[in-house]
Parts: sequence; C-alpha cells; structure tokens
Amino acid sequence: MSKKNGADELAYVRDLPGFKPNNPTYFEQEAIDHLIGIVLELGGELWTLRDRMAYMEELLRDSGSKVLEKLDAGRPSDALQAKLSAERKEFISRVYSRLYSRYGGDKAQHTTAPM
Amino acid sequence: MSISDPLYVRGKIAGVYPSLSSRRDEAYIEFVEDARNALLHGQQAPIAAYSRDLLKKAGASMTPDKASCDAAEKILMQDPALKTYYRVKRSLQESFWNGIRSSFNMRRDAILAAMDAAVTKGPGTVTLDPDMPMPEYSQAQIHLQPGAYAYEELGGLFYDYGLKVFMGGAADNDNLPKMVARIVRVPADGKVTRVLDLGCSAGATTTALKLAHPDAEVTGIDIAAPMVRYAHLRAVEQNIDVHFKQMNAEKMAFPDNHFDAVLSMLLFHELPPEASRRVLEESFRVLRPGGAMTILDFTSVDDRDVYNMWFAEMDSKDNGEPFLPPFVRSNIEKTIAAVGFKMEPFDPKNSLRTGRVCIKPLQQ
Ligand SMILES: C[S@@+](CC[C@H](N)C(=O)[O-])C[C@H]1O[C@@H](n2cnc3c(N)ncnc32)[C@H](O)[C@@H]1O
Repeated sequence: MSKKNGADELAYVRDLPGFKPNNPTYFEQEAIDHLIGIVLELGGELWTLRDRMAYMEELLRDSGSKVLEKLDAGRPSDALQAKLSAERKEFISRVYSRLYSRYGGDKAQHTTAPM
Repeated sequence: MSISDPLYVRGKIAGVYPSLSSRRDEAYIEFVEDARNALLHGQQAPIAAYSRDLLKKAGASMTPDKASCDAAEKILMQDPALKTYYRVKRSLQESFWNGIRSSFNMRRDAILAAMDAAVTKGPGTVTLDPDMPMPEYSQAQIHLQPGAYAYEELGGLFYDYGLKVFMGGAADNDNLPKMVARIVRVPADGKVTRVLDLGCSAGATTTALKLAHPDAEVTGIDIAAPMVRYAHLRAVEQNIDVHFKQMNAEKMAFPDNHFDAVLSMLLFHELPPEASRRVLEESFRVLRPGGAMTILDFTSVDDRDVYNMWFAEMDSKDNGEPFLPPFVRSNIEKTIAAVGFKMEPFDPKNSLRTGRVCIKPLQQ
C-alpha cells in the first residue's frame, strides 16, 4: 500500500467526533461551564497548599524552629517574591483565562492600568 | 519609636505604601492586583474589538447618543463573555476593598493614634475644618470605597492602597504622581512661588509637585478630612514640606491672584457639573494673571463612539462613578472658556487621560 493511498484511506478519521479537540459547553449560560472548571481548579490548588503547609509546619515544629512566628510579620526575600510574582501571573492565567476564550482573550497579555 | 511606626509596622511596600497587617493579607491583595491586570486591564483592547464586532454584526448604530447606547447595552449584555467581564470587574473591586479594609482595621486604633500624633509634626502642616458644611455629593461612594472619601476615618489610607491595586502597579513608588508633576504647566515667565493641588486625596501628587518645584510653597486641598490627615502623615514620613488643608474647592479661603500654578488631577469627573463650574471660577480667582491651571481628567464626548460611551456608563453604574457620564456630556471646555481662561494645547501623549491647560490672561 502506498503512503498516499494510506493517507487518503484514513482521511475520514479527521472528521470523527472527538478527533479534534473542541470546547464543549453543557449549560445554557457558557459562563457556568467556565465557573465549574474554575472552582474545580481552585480546589486542587487550595488542597495542594493545605497539604504542603501542614507538612511544613510539622517539619518546622519538629526542628524546634521559631519560623512559624515570623510567617505573618515578615515577607519573602526579593528573589522569592519575584518568583512568586511570576508564578502568580501564570496561576491566574491558567485558572481564569478560559473565562474569555470566546473572543481569544485567554491569550491577552497582563498589563497595568492604561495610562 | 517614631510616630508612624504603628502605620508602617511591616515596613513599606512599593516605596510609599504602608504594608498591610500580615503577609497573608498581602498575598491576597497581590493576587487581586494581578488578577485585575490579567482579567481586566489586559482584556480592555481585545474586549473592545470583540464588542464593536458584536455591535457591527447586529447592525447597531455606533453614534454616541443615548438611544444608541441603550440599544448597544441590550446587544452587548446578552453575551456571555461580556457578562463575565463585568461580573469579574465588580467582584475584584469588592475583593480589594474588603481585603484592604479588614487588614488595616486590625490596627485601627493604632493607626488613628498615629495620624493624631502627626497633626502637630512637620515638615509641612495640616489644617482641618470640622465645621465646614459638606455638600450632598461628597456622600457618593466613588469606586465603591467603603465610607466614601469623607466618612471613614481610615479613608485616606484605604484610598492610597486602593489606588495602588487599582492602577496595577503603575502608581508604585509614586511613579504616576511624579510623571504628573513633571507635566503640570507653569506660567510662561517661569516664576513658580505657590502651587495648589485640588482634590489632593492621599497627597501623592502634592508631594511629587514639591519634588518638582522644591523652592515653591505647595498646598493640597481636599474636602475630606480623612484624606488630608493621612496625606500629611504620608508627607511627614517622606520628609517633604507641603501643606494640606481641608477645604471645599468651590469656595476657597485663599486670596485673589495667589497661586502661580493649579493642578486638578482626576477631580472634575467626580463632581456634579454645577460644582465643577464653581471650582473653575474659584481656580481662576486664586490664580495670578499669567498663571496656569492643568486639568487631567477624562475626555469629553466628541472623540468617542457608542462603545466608549457605553463602557463609561457601565463604569458609572458598577463602579460608583455617578458624575462621570454628566462630566463627559458637560463639555467642560465651554465652562473653562466661560470663566475667563484661555486654553492652550496639551500633548496627549503626556497624560493619564486627557490634559487641558488653562491660562489666566495677563490682561482682562
Ligand atoms: C479621585 S480623587 C483625586 C485624586 C488625587 N488628585 C490624586 O492625584 O491621587 C478625588 C478627590 O477629590 C476630593 N473632592 C471631592 N469634591 C471636592 C471639593 N468640592 N473640594 C475639594 N476636594 C474635593 C475627594 O474627597 C477626593 O479625595
């Protein structure tokens, strides 16, 4: 069987339902679809943090550290703040940008207020 | 212990702002600020293009008049993406005020005591006028700020931090006020002895004016006592010698021909047009002949289509800007001319919104 024939023969698969990724909506109001996605995503993020915090607090207590007292009074180092700032932007895009997928706003850049 | 330690208990953030009460509160607000940048500011251009497209497809009129605006609203608010945008905008606005208020309220008494203690400290001064009659319009909860400008004792602090979040970092380190101070017009003869900042709020622009004109006496007035109390503490903290006075810009307690330059940064769109006219008359009176007034504010009706008009109407309804649509429709240029000013061109690249330069003629 030639390559060309094989490609022709199988061309139909491209039209099978589910072959191309799509963006299905299940509710009359598309925003509700987005919101459920976001709420699930946030649950995962929140749980990851709770798990990590509890484990970290256990490790700190076990090591006799005073770090826990400093947590709220202080602020991360400049390097960590820069890293967190980049991750926060990425997090916001990942969790929420789908809200605007209808007009391609999920690809829009972060900016400050227009001057 | 310095007087301001209770205010700057976790140091400063972005150069000038008192930190929130805990790292937890700060992380929350950092999130809201970045979410605004991604989900509101970053969307403005694409959502405008999308909205105009929806209007075109529906065959709607693009003329900026009331009937077209109402028709546009019906078309646009059917759309799930636009409904979402306005929901997000409203929710994030509520989130940052709630976050800021609850965080500073944890230290409420200490912050109030610090502001009281600062009243007699210099450099600079603050003068309050507790018996001043407050106009009805001062009760509008502009931008949804809790307690409005005048009726919450921590209002100045809320406004200051709120503006930081609202501007998404563009005002950090007083960068925006410093830019504004540099573009304020001075008289043609170059003499700048006294400068006035109208509706100075937290005083960031007032202190920036002093840095730009170190030899001049710089005064900021605001109708709201909580604004000038906080503004003074903020200036003392930076060791900048400026004077704050609680005063209604419609009826100023300054002599005629007193100032060389007057600035009004984002005041007029928050006033009813009747009050705007009195503020312009008073500004004319207190400026010396040859003196210059710079007005930085929203544009007037002319250069807009129905989408801009609708966007402003939505902002007024959802973000507590009751006087913005009347301001835009009022055509302030006419009033500026009617009170005697000569307008001069302003480079639009310079300004936050639109700049208007008004000169008091040498000969009247
Ligand atoms: C948007 S803020 C101004 C922002 C400020 N100029 C800046 O650069 O950050 C408007 C301020 O005008 C004040 N204001 C409103 N009506 C006033 C009046 N009649 N006289 C003086 N100030 C007034 C409000 O209390 C508020 O603080």
